[in-house]
Amino acid sequence: MFSTVTRASSKAGLKLGAVSGSRAALSIGTARKMAKEVPSGRRVVAEPGSTTYAALEARLNLSFGDRAVMEQVCTHKSYAQGRVEHNERMEWIGKRALNLFVGEHLLATYPNLSTEALQDVQHSSFGMSSLAEVGRHFGMQAAMRWEPVSREAPAVGLTKVLGKAVQALVGAIYQRQGEAAARQFVKQHVLSRPVDVEAVMQIKNPKVMLVALTRQKGLEYPVARILKETGRFTSSPVFIVGVFCGTKMVGMGFGSSLKMAEHRAAKDALLKYYAKEIKDIGVTGDEPDVSLFAQDVAV
Amino acid sequence: MATYRLPRVLNEVIRSHQDRFIRPVQPKNGVGAFVFPCRKLVFNYCERSGSSKSMMEYLQKEATRFATENPQIEVIVQPRPSKHPIVRAFYANGEQKTKCVRRCSVSEIPEVVKSLRDHSGHKLQRWNRYVISDTPSVRGIYSPFHDKAVYSISDLKTKK
Repeated sequence: MFSTVTRASSKAGLKLGAVSGSRAALSIGTARKMAKEVPSGRRVVAEPGSTTYAALEARLNLSFGDRAVMEQVCTHKSYAQGRVEHNERMEWIGKRALNLFVGEHLLATYPNLSTEALQDVQHSSFGMSSLAEVGRHFGMQAAMRWEPVSREAPAVGLTKVLGKAVQALVGAIYQRQGEAAARQFVKQHVLSRPVDVEAVMQIKNPKVMLVALTRQKGLEYPVARILKETGRFTSSPVFIVGVFCGTKMVGMGFGSSLKMAEHRAAKDALLKYYAKEIKDIGVTGDEPDVSLFAQDVAV
Repeated sequence: MATYRLPRVLNEVIRSHQDRFIRPVQPKNGVGAFVFPCRKLVFNYCERSGSSKSMMEYLQKEATRFATENPQIEVIVQPRPSKHPIVRAFYANGEQKTKCVRRCSVSEIPEVVKSLRDHSGHKLQRWNRYVISDTPSVRGIYSPFHDKAVYSISDLKTKK
C-alpha cells in the first residue's frame, strides 16, 4: 500500500511517481512530520507508521480486506487508555482457537502421553512466551502499540503483549477468513516449531517407572544387559547397556558407568513409549497431508 | 582484557557437545512458512547536498518499483537535511544495518539495497567450526540407536 504523508513545502522536493493499485508499503515524509524517530545511541527507534501494518500483512502472506485489521491486532488495550480499537476480543477468541488447534495436533501426535504431560507440552512449547517468540520472528514488536507499565523498564510486559497479539492475529484470521485459514496459519507458523517432550516429562526414577510400565503392559520384568563396552578400568570408559523385557530390547543407553548407562537405558525405554511421535497425521478438519511415502497414494 | 564472548547460537552448540545430550532443535525460518527477515528500509537523503544526487535519482527511478516488488518490506523515503545519503535496514530480530551511499553511483545503489534486503539480520559471527549443527558433531557421535545390528538374546543364542 502506497501512502503519502503530507509534506512541508520544499523547493527542490523529491517527487516520486504515484503507484496505482499495488501492494507497496511506501511512505514519503518530511524530517519533522514523519513517524517519530527517537535516536537512542547509535540505534534509531521508530513508532509504527501507517505502512507498517501493510508490510506485516504481506510478510505473513495474509490479506485482510480492511486495512485497519492488522493495526487493531497489534494494539493492546493499554494504548491510549483503551479508547482506540484494541485486540482484546480478538485475543479472546484467538486464544481458544489456537489452543484447540494445538491441542488437537498434540493429541494426535503423541498417543501415549498423559493429559498432564500434554498440558505441560502445550504450555511450554505453545504458551505465552513461545507465542511471543513467534511474534518476534514476525517482527511484530516494532508494530505493537501499547503502553508499558513502568517508564523505567519499558520492555517489561512486552512478552505477554506480544503473545496476546499473536493470539489476536489467529483470532482475526479465524473471524474474517474462517477456521480452515486459521488452522493453516497456526500449522505453518506455530506448529512447525520444534517441541521438546523430554524436558516436560519429569523422569526422576526411570527404573521404578519402567517396572511399573512393564507390569501394566504385561511384559516380563526388565533386565539390563551390557551390549558393548570399552575402556573399563580407564579414566574414560563407555558402556552401552540395553534394557530387555524377556528377549525384546525396549531401551538402550550409554554411560561412563554401568549405573548411568542403565539409568539412560531405562529413560530411553520410557521415552520411546510415552513420547512416541506419530508424524504426518491427519487431524479432523485438516487438509489431508499426502506424503510421498503414503501407501494409499494413487500413482 | 576483554573476554571473547561466543555468539549465543554457538554457545548452544558447544554446550550440547559438552553435555553429550541431544539438544532440542532450534526453530528455523522456512520450516512451515518463511517470514522475510528484512522488515523496513529507510532511504535518507538531503535535498540540497551534492552527495545525495545519485540517491535522489535512484529514488525517483526505482523506489516505487522496489516497494511494489517487495510488499513485505516497509519502504520509507525521508529527507535528512545536511547529512550524507544512507540506507537503513531494520530486521525482524531487532537488528539494524546502515549503509552510506554518498560514494555510490546510480547503478551501484541497487546492489547496496539488495544486499541489505537479503541480509538475515544476524550479526556477523566468527564460526570456529567447520560445521555448525544442531547435532553435536558432523556425522553424529556414535549412537547404538542407529547401529544396524539388532540386539536380541535369541540371536546371540543361535550364534555359535
